[in-house]
Amino acid sequence: MLRIRSNGEQFAVKQLVLSAVAVVALAACSEVASDAPTSSASSDDGSSGSTSTSSSGNLQTVAAPLVQEDASRFLVQASFGPTEREIDRVMRDGYSEWIRDQIRATPTLHLTKLNAIVAAGDEIERSSASDSFWENAVEGDDQLRQRMTFALSQILVVSDGPGSNLSDRPLAMAYYMDILTRNAFGNYRDLIEEVTYSPAMAVYLTYLRNQKANPNNGRVPDENYAREILQLFTIGLVELQPDGTIAPGAQETFENEDIVGLAKVFTGLSLKGGFRRDNPPDAYNSRLEVYPEHHSTDAKSFLGLTIPENTDAATSISMALDQIFAHPNVAPFVSRQLIQRFVTSNPTSAYVGRVSAAFEAGSFVMPDGEVVGEGRRGDLAATISAVLLDPEARQPAGVVADDFGKVREPVLRLTHWARAFDVVTADAGEERYLQNTSGPDRLSQHPFRSPSVFNFYRPGYVAPSTQTGAAGLNAPELQIVNESSAIGYVNTMSRFVRDDSPNRGNNVSGDAFSPNYLDELDLAEDPEALTNRLDLLLTYGRMSAETRSRIIGVLQEMPIRDDRVEEDRERRIHTAVLMAVTAPEYLVQQ
Amino acid sequence: MKRMSRRAFVQGVSAGGLAVGGGLTTMLGASAARAADTSGYKALVCVFFKGGLDCHDVMLPYDQASYDAYADVRRNLLNGYNGIDGGSTRARNRLLPLQGRNGSSFGSRQFALTEEMAPLHDLFENEQASIVANIGPLLEPMNRSQFRDRSRERPPRLFSHNDQQSTWMALSPEGERYGWGGRFADAALLSNANANPVFTSISVSGNEVFLAGETAAQYQVGGNGAQTIREMTNRGLLGSGRNSDTARSLIDAHFGAESLSPTNLFEQDLATINNRAVTANADFNESLDTLAPFTTQFPDNGLGGRLKTIAETIAIRGTLNVSRQVFYASIGGFDTHSNQANSMPNLQRQISSAVAAFNSAMQELGVSNDVTLFTASDFGRTLVVNGDGTDHGWGGHHFVVGGAVNGGNIFGSPPPYTVDHESDSGRGRLIPRLAIEQLAYPLGSWFGLTDAELQAALPRLNMFETPPPIV
Repeated sequence: MLRIRSNGEQFAVKQLVLSAVAVVALAACSEVASDAPTSSASSDDGSSGSTSTSSSGNLQTVAAPLVQEDASRFLVQASFGPTEREIDRVMRDGYSEWIRDQIRATPTLHLTKLNAIVAAGDEIERSSASDSFWENAVEGDDQLRQRMTFALSQILVVSDGPGSNLSDRPLAMAYYMDILTRNAFGNYRDLIEEVTYSPAMAVYLTYLRNQKANPNNGRVPDENYAREILQLFTIGLVELQPDGTIAPGAQETFENEDIVGLAKVFTGLSLKGGFRRDNPPDAYNSRLEVYPEHHSTDAKSFLGLTIPENTDAATSISMALDQIFAHPNVAPFVSRQLIQRFVTSNPTSAYVGRVSAAFEAGSFVMPDGEVVGEGRRGDLAATISAVLLDPEARQPAGVVADDFGKVREPVLRLTHWARAFDVVTADAGEERYLQNTSGPDRLSQHPFRSPSVFNFYRPGYVAPSTQTGAAGLNAPELQIVNESSAIGYVNTMSRFVRDDSPNRGNNVSGDAFSPNYLDELDLAEDPEALTNRLDLLLTYGRMSAETRSRIIGVLQEMPIRDDRVEEDRERRIHTAVLMAVTAPEYLVQQ
Repeated sequence: MKRMSRRAFVQGVSAGGLAVGGGLTTMLGASAARAADTSGYKALVCVFFKGGLDCHDVMLPYDQASYDAYADVRRNLLNGYNGIDGGSTRARNRLLPLQGRNGSSFGSRQFALTEEMAPLHDLFENEQASIVANIGPLLEPMNRSQFRDRSRERPPRLFSHNDQQSTWMALSPEGERYGWGGRFADAALLSNANANPVFTSISVSGNEVFLAGETAAQYQVGGNGAQTIREMTNRGLLGSGRNSDTARSLIDAHFGAESLSPTNLFEQDLATINNRAVTANADFNESLDTLAPFTTQFPDNGLGGRLKTIAETIAIRGTLNVSRQVFYASIGGFDTHSNQANSMPNLQRQISSAVAAFNSAMQELGVSNDVTLFTASDFGRTLVVNGDGTDHGWGGHHFVVGGAVNGGNIFGSPPPYTVDHESDSGRGRLIPRLAIEQLAYPLGSWFGLTDAELQAALPRLNMFETPPPIV
């Protein structure tokens, strides 16, 4: 049933855990208890900058939440935000079943929506793919898949930002978003192949119409994709151990000669219909085609492989991706970054090792004993299950170490609020502010719109002049937090929280991204109960005593006038919600 | 330290490429342990070209023989330029030759800037700017054969964007926590340069390691003043008179993240940043209210706006109570793997007009001699063309601008515009002949740091020859 390359003992231990609400000590697993210190080297390649101290040897695997707050925290990690309904489902089903249910759920796709716009005779707008992102993130039932899409978009980066040739290519963006969405629980090897043949990546990393060398005029193949597929998408720059650490004396993974050799592989690809012209309207949302006359016929040498001369493009690409994917770095490289996107910026090497093992094995045994994954190396369903169900991820928030957790990404801060208060429509076509949240006066982050292929922030970022920096911790998201963006976030949220739409569409008479505070309004005159509710939905029970007392203190000062009960209650709700979503305990997830 | 004369340096260049001199060890040995000089006012401004500026498309060869060789190896790109509106700005007769002071030091070789760089060309000819040729990350000097046989140590992670950005800014790859700008700021703060230390190390383009010091924390300011929380002002509903004094003081405490004691380190950081944002931004805006508008017009483009913000910040240096400042601004779009002929001209117009406006504003403020701007980038690019663009390189050419600059000079040694020469690591990826330390040293010395402080900020300084007298 299982093909496990390593850590068999650990899986065996987990298989004993069959009770749905079981709390099983994993202390027997020596790997957890003895978390070896790692190299202090920090890098862009997802390797560990330091080791969290939160692995104390008393880790427990938890199959189901004991209290609603645990479920809420799980949903902060695994979805675009907890809702009352999802909290109840996690309480009822347990973590494993919730994940399996999410894996089974029908994918909510993007391109179909854009095609429907065209079919209805309407125009697609530049922002249509981005609009679709918000809609799926906030309203999609396949929450884990959508989160996975967003996480993968921060590894396999394309961007439709200013200066990118994708800014007016929403169909190319939607097609690419669907590749990530469809493969979210598929296999990483298949994913990088679909990415390689996608018009969006070819445009973004400039291998669309890339041609073989021409000795007569000195032209050589473009090296862009060859470099970044290695450095950013698969193996990184330095040899990694299976647990993501860098061994002393580790070598760089490739040399420039490898890039020159690999660049020949990505020649001869262009849009369907014709290498330079005659491309049909759906060319940007169709798989790239091979144009053999432009593909290099040279032998192509890189990473220890030589593809013989006169090998065709499809075969060359397949061989190249196999060779890259076979590199032992891929599992720790991808695993650590996924942990950083969902759970914590500084996973212990043991945690990375366990997720890597699931990636390698292509399967993962859930705490309730069921197996997820097809058993093929690179299985993402197994990998994400290992990320979310790891004992380190599931330790209760109250007991995690002070270096555990991560800064909540600004996009997630917005969606977590939106889902908690059931925004009435996530149609960003009607709330134009959502069409670009990139500026420091907004969120400093917009989905699929990072400033470069290096994402919004680097996995190995250590923030200068900070407590996390002094402790040598990685804090990727702190790369976009500063005196401008910190305040831009507050001002942005204040508009949304008050339903004071920053930029509502002209033709919109009703609601656009409007919160529904009906349940909260009932509690407006009971500040204590209201605060408890916000604490559950937004901060999984971790709201600080200071924030709590300040919210209650302010609310008590806000009169409810007999002739304006509704208005005054609403003011209280707006005030309390805004204070909750701007408190440090909301800006960070533990 | 006694500077060598410009003449001596120029001779050194023409003789063998690198500056002559007794070596830094001798000079450093002579320096006494004194604290950084923080008298008067001085500011250092780093303008970073994100993506890797193609140096071969900025400073071109001008003498006919070199130009012909260049046109041959860059044939595909020049074909692209032939197709742009208005015709090729890379045609030899449209280039702007660099006369300068040491134009004759390179034998028969002559150099030129492109037409789009006219404002920077003017600054060069007016001795307000110089060019530092073929500079980049090095651990020790090396040539082509030493690069190939690995007898000299290569800088790690060459040709990688993020790592070479970090190396330019902080002398080692990504993950380094302190930049040399931040180290310079640290030294100034150690000598009590600034009554208000928060305004020492300032970015207008996001968080970057260049500005990070051990004591100097980076402060971020955007256009139109520092941001303020609307809800805390009387424009916001929470800060308005509708709320009681008690409520407003609780609201202020909340948004200012006052008196919080989270145990989680990330929460501590967020609380600290929120607190600093509220207090420092209020101080900054109070100072900005005193600012009289400039006569100088800044170009209406991204970098123009960012350099204007820096100029305004320098203008209020008195009320901010600072005597030493380090600034950082960036502009993206230089990773020209593709479509270079269509993107580069606009980028060049933007950088040269913005830098020239900044220089004028400094003259208008009367601080021209007190502010030095320099440019940097991830790396240069290949001389060989990949179709319609160029790939990642290593060494590149950069500008140093300001009244204190020994203007009108090409410092260092521009390599031939061909492949396989002594400074070519392959396809025209230049092996630098000047290390970043050799630019940082004269800038830091001008900024007021002692040689001991510079040695600490630039640990590999002794590996290289005496830096050129750039300022």
